[in-house]
Amino acid sequence: MNKDLYQQIQYCIERGKVDRNSPYPPDMKGQDGAVELTQQAIAAGFPPQDILLKALMVGMKNIGDRFGCGEAFIPDLMISAKAMTAATAILRPLFQSDVGFQKGTFIIGTVAGDLHDIGKNIVKMIMEGAGWRVIDLGTNVSTEKFLETLKQNPQASIGLSALLTTTMVNMERTTNEIKQLSPSTIVVIGGAPVTDNFRQKIGADAYFPSPHLLPDYLNKRLSSAMI
Amino acid sequence: MRNRSLKTDHTFNTFLYQPGPAEMYRVRLPELNLHMEQLEKVLGYEQNNIPVFYQDKLKKMWLEAADKADIKVGYRILPADQFHWHLTHIICGEVKFLTGKIISQQLKNSETVAIFAGTAGPAFEAWSKQLFDQGDFPDGYIADLLGSEIIEAAIDWMEIKIQKKLNHHSLKMTNRFSPGYCGWNVREQFKLFSLLPQNFCGISLTDSALMVPIKSVSGIIGIGEKVEKIGYPCDICQMKNCYRRRKTVSVP
Repeated sequence: MNKDLYQQIQYCIERGKVDRNSPYPPDMKGQDGAVELTQQAIAAGFPPQDILLKALMVGMKNIGDRFGCGEAFIPDLMISAKAMTAATAILRPLFQSDVGFQKGTFIIGTVAGDLHDIGKNIVKMIMEGAGWRVIDLGTNVSTEKFLETLKQNPQASIGLSALLTTTMVNMERTTNEIKQLSPSTIVVIGGAPVTDNFRQKIGADAYFPSPHLLPDYLNKRLSSAMI
Repeated sequence: MRNRSLKTDHTFNTFLYQPGPAEMYRVRLPELNLHMEQLEKVLGYEQNNIPVFYQDKLKKMWLEAADKADIKVGYRILPADQFHWHLTHIICGEVKFLTGKIISQQLKNSETVAIFAGTAGPAFEAWSKQLFDQGDFPDGYIADLLGSEIIEAAIDWMEIKIQKKLNHHSLKMTNRFSPGYCGWNVREQFKLFSLLPQNFCGISLTDSALMVPIKSVSGIIGIGEKVEKIGYPCDICQMKNCYRRRKTVSVP
């Protein structure tokens, strides 16, 4: 029974079926969505941690994998994240603390001088969908603001975004100062003009041309750090 | 100093020496050559495989975009005696643009350039943010994408307008090139706007050379009898995620 329910939840997340009333996907119209099925799983007494890890997150991983293969597209990722967000909102009060609920904290912002935020928003959504607490500092974020937020959240990883060749150079100063403050903090970068060569040059830990690869990378880095 | 010789040889074209002031146009969305198929492709659905749900959403948001768009485009054709071509840069009056070899090569036979700018208007950022904030992630993404595609289509519209004018003088155009792409530093945006009237099309620049409204485009287009559009040379550029790549043809 729980396997069936988990699979149904996974499927709703993967297809982006938020709740019974949501019109998408049309072939699931009128059916229970991630919200109702999560409520049913809770009512049936399934452990919240299992619902999160074995159902919701598997659904997000599935859509991420399909995106990676070119079988799904950004709108598909986004509607899955919407279903995930709705389902986790129901689950969250059942966790005694955020420790069991969230994998970690991820601070994200578009670097100083840059006002573009679409790439940052996509990454934010994917990270939240993958079970991370995301602190979104917005656009045009100064190095000082990143450092101040890191001091308040010393275990966090950091993501820097930039869309311009002029502003991506600001990633260097921000990365350097983060590493000076806390050498073990993971700094990842992304944005249209960014390359892995640039990432190496400025001493950031990782660069991803595609957002769906980021949660896996951070999960692996953090689990290897715990061993 | 290539143009010095052009001025004295058979390619002399009177129009290029008296092209007039900057011109600006307001454009309505229905005037643009922007189709649903193109928007579907930009969303990722390249093989006519877009779900009907998204197709309907695109149509609905397109209508909303028509109300939100405040499209302005404009250009100024530089008098030919103020334009000088070099292998790694071009000179436009008092301004030296460090365009780099990629762009300079494409402008090689130009007798002058059109300096242009345009915007889809300021509403798209707020629209996209509002949708993201209320959890409508796909809609927020589509709103942002519509702003980007609209301004590109508006500049296409402007190019046609310029070309019609040039046709009377047997002149042609190159592709358009923008600071920030093809190896041209985006900081040169300041120089580019110095050649246009102040607050042209309602666009201003931030300290980091970012145009505000964000959904704006600026750049130059080469003009001459012997120039042509030969596609963007993306295979020699480092910028792997550039939006231009999807419009690319490989140049030998």
